[in-house]
Amino acid sequence: MALSVAHQRTQMTLLLTALVAVSLVSLLIGAGSVGPLRALAVLGGGHDSDASFVVWQLRAPRTVIGIIVGMALGVAGALLQAVSRNPLAEPGLLGVSAGAAFAVALTLVMGASAATLRISVAQMGALLGCICVLSVTRVRGVGSDPVRLVLAGAAFSGLLGSLTSLMLLFDQRAADEIRFWVIGSLAGRRLDDVVAMLPSMLVAAVAVVFIARPLAALALGERAASGLGHHPGLIRWLVVACVALLVGAATAIAGPIAFVGLVVPFAARALAGPDIRRTLWFCLPIGPLMVLTADIIARVAVAPSELPIGVLTALCGAPVLVAVVRARRLPTL
Amino acid sequence: MKSSASDLPTSAFVPERRSQSIAAPPGYWRIAWISPRGNACSLLIERRGVAVSAGLGVALVCACVLYLSLGSMALAPSAVLPALFGRGEMISVFTVQELRLPRLVAACLTGAAFALAGVLMQTLARNRLATPGIIGIDNGATAFAVASVVGMGVSLAPPAMALAGAATAAALTFGLVAGGGTQGYRFIVAGIGVGAVFGAVTQLMLARVAIDTANAAYPWTVGSLNARPGDAVGLLAVGLGVGVIAAFIVARPLSLMRFKDATAYGLGVNVKARRFQVLMLSVVLTALAVAVAGPVGMVGLIGPEIARSLSSSRQVPLVASLLAGALVMVLADLAGRTLLAPIEIPVGIVTAVIGGPWLLWILMRPQRSHA
Repeated sequence: MALSVAHQRTQMTLLLTALVAVSLVSLLIGAGSVGPLRALAVLGGGHDSDASFVVWQLRAPRTVIGIIVGMALGVAGALLQAVSRNPLAEPGLLGVSAGAAFAVALTLVMGASAATLRISVAQMGALLGCICVLSVTRVRGVGSDPVRLVLAGAAFSGLLGSLTSLMLLFDQRAADEIRFWVIGSLAGRRLDDVVAMLPSMLVAAVAVVFIARPLAALALGERAASGLGHHPGLIRWLVVACVALLVGAATAIAGPIAFVGLVVPFAARALAGPDIRRTLWFCLPIGPLMVLTADIIARVAVAPSELPIGVLTALCGAPVLVAVVRARRLPTL
Repeated sequence: MKSSASDLPTSAFVPERRSQSIAAPPGYWRIAWISPRGNACSLLIERRGVAVSAGLGVALVCACVLYLSLGSMALAPSAVLPALFGRGEMISVFTVQELRLPRLVAACLTGAAFALAGVLMQTLARNRLATPGIIGIDNGATAFAVASVVGMGVSLAPPAMALAGAATAAALTFGLVAGGGTQGYRFIVAGIGVGAVFGAVTQLMLARVAIDTANAAYPWTVGSLNARPGDAVGLLAVGLGVGVIAAFIVARPLSLMRFKDATAYGLGVNVKARRFQVLMLSVVLTALAVAVAGPVGMVGLIGPEIARSLSSSRQVPLVASLLAGALVMVLADLAGRTLLAPIEIPVGIVTAVIGGPWLLWILMRPQRSHA
């Protein structure tokens, strides 16, 4: 394969350019009456109070959140796939996001208010979901069959999803409070939410920097990794914690969004080749690209109202899932 | 298991003695008679199958009485039967006949249809997990039915649209795995992918329309017996009747199709034609049931599972699945109506909460054959 470093550098530059362009589009286009030209004037320093409110107070936070959520979900997917050696391991499909959503719904029904606890609670839920998934991969026969794991994950998240809707049915107040959150959307989030999730993102980022090398060694197999001086068990736990931090924070702010963690590492691997470290780098621009594009379409497609973003990620993610499953030889990682 | 004259080596000269002398295999009743044309015929009936079906039937009747008596206005079970035939107090007659009976009928019919479709599809795919709900056929039917309700330029009745959707989803799922065969988990996950696309399409359509129309289509997205269109129930009754007869006609080849294709072919089953017929039957039953109750696909998994655990493995448990599906649906809807009394839990959520752990258990336990 001609995956020279220069080649990859060009690809990375292209991706970053595309990301900047999409972010700009995300600032310019919206469902409301402020058109691209007025928004452009605001960006150029114009004094249009309506338009500047829309651009800076509504669209800018949304764009920032889209970028962060995309990075978090993409990296989490790549990590989970590397550690379970399964190209189909995806936080949304395997029930990690559903675990986070379930935990948030549970605390709301038990009387907490939505504003305060959400991120840490979602992270706890994601952690539990993650541990469930990885303990399932340790069951004999399941872990070695990538497709069977996805099936178990689908059953698990279906169960958690129906339990969540059951609780919301039971408690009208909680339902009203998180109705727009539980379907997954970037609309109506404020910058405070971003600030609240930054610490955990930073912790996760630092941890990822440290476990990238051992993970690359783990790709050679557990014995090879131990022989190279790493501790597979420890790495696995660190990855679980990272994924929980990332997915928990992303879910807390944007609701459960599936399929991003599947498509993004899939594309990143296609560009970067088998090395997990390069894959992780490529996930950083590709994740936001996907989430922002989906969000822009969600805004524009049904103009006065909005689509849940998960609908769009599912529409482009499910064909990728089918394509991976159809491949005659399933690539194991 | 039936065995007709053509299978027995009936020699022309001593038909009576042969039909007398063959003893029934252990565990079977044998009914033998001479047909008008003079051929010796016999019918083998499995005792255990009869016992299981009778037991499930009794349980179903008990559940139905319970269903009619419990609710926001509780009636004594002894008052239910007279009320059913129009005797007793006006109010209880009204409650039973007008409010609860139509819903009970819908529950029985949809449960039976989902379970029958499930057991047919499982046998066809030789895969225990291949129920229409899991491989995306429910979602396809739902998407098309919702399309007809929210009026996306097409004005066909929901059952017809559900039929088209179910057929589309089935064609997609089976087409996508064309080379790989239907055994194993890849088939199922391809079906999950197809189902996810149709689920997203449903959401997309619901997001586009006004809130009233979206509310009208909402039962279809979770599975509920609350708003059942009357003509769809009638259509389902007819379809289920025809479907049951058709299922009995294919019952014998179906139990042979559990073997490998070559074996089934050698035993005289036209595998290709039968497979197409069984698939069509399963798709039609699923679509008609979805048009009434929405995607309650878990019944298609739970019903056959119960039936299979009770029955012997000598034949495909069609009757037992039918009854078990109806039983599960009636009990689940009863629980949904009464547990959180003023609030009604949609039956789709109740079955998902029961069926989810069951599905996980099937997946997690040590590998066995998945026929």
